[in-house]
Amino acid sequence: MMTTELRIVHLFPELLNLYADQGNIAVLRSRAEGRGLSFTVRQVKLGQPLHLENADLLILGGGSDREQAVVAREMQRYKEDMAQAVDAGLPLLAVCGGYQLLGKYYELQSGERIEGLGLVDLVTRAGNTRLIGNIAIHWKQDVEYSIGGGFASSSRLTNAHASGNRDESLPHTVVGFENHAGRTYHDYDPLGSVLKGGGNNGQDQREGLQYKGILGTYIHGPLLPKNPHIADHLLKMALAYQGMPAELPALNDQLEWHAHRHILSMLGISKGEVNDV
Amino acid sequence: MRLRSVAALLVGRMLKISLRLLHRRGTSLPGLVMHKVSRTLLGDLLRQLDTLVIVTGTNGKSTTTALLHSMLNGEQDHWLTNEGGANLQQGLLSALMAYANWRGKLVIKRAVLEVDEATFPHVVRQCAPHLVVITNVVRDQLDRYGEIDHAMHLLQEGLRDQGITIVANGDDPLATSLAMGRDLSYFYGMDQSASQAAMGDEVRDGAFCLNCGSELVYDHFMYGQMGLYRCLHCDFAHPNLHFLGTIQDETGLSIMECISWRQGHEAGRLDFHVSASVIGLYNWYNVLAATAAARILGRSPAQISRGAHAYKAPLGRMQVFAGPPQRILALIKNPTGANSVLRAMMEDVCEKRVCFAINDLDADGRDVSWLWDINIESLVANAHICAWYCTGRRRLDMALRLKYAGVDPASITVIDSLEFVGKYTSQSTAPVYVLSTYTALYALAGYLQAGESA
Repeated sequence: MMTTELRIVHLFPELLNLYADQGNIAVLRSRAEGRGLSFTVRQVKLGQPLHLENADLLILGGGSDREQAVVAREMQRYKEDMAQAVDAGLPLLAVCGGYQLLGKYYELQSGERIEGLGLVDLVTRAGNTRLIGNIAIHWKQDVEYSIGGGFASSSRLTNAHASGNRDESLPHTVVGFENHAGRTYHDYDPLGSVLKGGGNNGQDQREGLQYKGILGTYIHGPLLPKNPHIADHLLKMALAYQGMPAELPALNDQLEWHAHRHILSMLGISKGEVNDV
Repeated sequence: MRLRSVAALLVGRMLKISLRLLHRRGTSLPGLVMHKVSRTLLGDLLRQLDTLVIVTGTNGKSTTTALLHSMLNGEQDHWLTNEGGANLQQGLLSALMAYANWRGKLVIKRAVLEVDEATFPHVVRQCAPHLVVITNVVRDQLDRYGEIDHAMHLLQEGLRDQGITIVANGDDPLATSLAMGRDLSYFYGMDQSASQAAMGDEVRDGAFCLNCGSELVYDHFMYGQMGLYRCLHCDFAHPNLHFLGTIQDETGLSIMECISWRQGHEAGRLDFHVSASVIGLYNWYNVLAATAAARILGRSPAQISRGAHAYKAPLGRMQVFAGPPQRILALIKNPTGANSVLRAMMEDVCEKRVCFAINDLDADGRDVSWLWDINIESLVANAHICAWYCTGRRRLDMALRLKYAGVDPASITVIDSLEFVGKYTSQSTAPVYVLSTYTALYALAGYLQAGESA
């Protein structure tokens, strides 16, 4: 039997590496290999060709302001290729600065706009303060991921059905840390609703974005170690994108959920509060 | 000195005494109360100084300051300093207060102070420093100051006066860019011809040229972002060094000094040797930084050597507690500093244990994602570690970090309270490296000290 290969493309790691993206990648690798899948990571530095036909999942992290401005300027040449791939359903994890870069622009306090990739109809405006701190959200799990269009094989994946976490005792929360001055606005499904923390803009109680294969979020910490359900969701989207949707066997995630619950209790979030949402 | 300031001084002093009676550490709290009574007091005290030497930067401030103080301070020539890493405004106040008489007059007029980047511009506004040492500028405490660009901005602001002499780490592109193009800049760095380190995947915040934004090229690499770098697109490059250090063996640094001194000083090249009991490459950088500053301030190689010899590691800077088992307490607060400690552990070939004490309070940095930027994988592979312990508020984040670095979760002991670190680690004789963030450090030092005498 041929092993399924998951091909991760890590975009511009030399610039966008502020929030421990290697942590996210280590988690994806371990959880893929734990299921007998082979896992490769290709780093694409700014200026190199993307070769998106050889990618099952893109990762776009955050950088310092200086680095992000460099990326925004240089990234324009990738716009068309990425738009096409994302439209076809290529999964993409974008965290913090990477999340902002997906949108149309980032508006500085001076009113100057830094142009983004425009993959989604999303804008970010700089605020006066930074939204900083631990954050917990309730994951909006009923967002359907479907691919199709130009692809021969079409498949669908709804988190609620395909989730490996059927065990109802497991949290449906996502926990982590946020640190951003930008306030982000969009009309897509969010990643979830805010239980504690700022979220997209500190106002509408929404955090992140889910659209087609895109998962955008301000949550780092890094995102995936304490949120194994989100890691598995990304792996499943990547498999479905390859045309091989699969259930993922359960792993021993005791330590992961222990750490997850520890953050919930640090934030004073009770189980009841989570279920009420 | 204003009446208000004298009153504030009294309040602070009484509070400090009462805290001592309560066996609490009084490095920052008395200052905090006093700060509310008189915001001008720090300025009043600073302005009385004849000579102010500041050590700033991200990592190595405390060790460099302690070394430099040991080299400068003598029977005829008294210097005051702020011990214990109290480098924010309140800590500086507490430190200076200890040298003020009841009328608010400083009894010692020369100071070598460790100053945090954020406090630096404020201190400089109150008293123009004679000399500033910049150890390095690396990623630290992102959530406290936003991001690294902000730290650079604060340092630039504090250094605006071109009359300030700068002693900067030439191997660090960010420290170098702060000191470049000024008349009174001196650079130190390590001899890199012997460097074997491969360019790692470690975070390199300074790996981009501040002039033009291009990626810097490294011909040699020491650690973190330290190395022999140059920009391919503009003329920014590693500077000519005035103080070149070569690590001779475990205990010594040979230094080649190349300065054309102004009249009255010897010209050209001078070679000398400094020995100190420090652990790790990053600490030899601190010895070199202190030596360079002491030379610029007119100390002879003999005086410097004596001072380095007399130096004792400050709290949590590879501080050794006698055993068995021996415990070595090291502060970690950002990836570069932590990786330096890990590298020192890998240089130690005996079998050992490691305990991570990770807190997430304001002074630690509330974001613990940096734990994923430290090279645990290399520690697992190279450091002969037979047992792992995690404690502190974010002990589970650390345990997860270890799991994904390939450590079997069954070999990790999670210790719920710092208090029990001594007890849990006493069952074997293998030495324990205790790696702690800032707010767990004092408590751990206390517990380990108590265990030492038991």
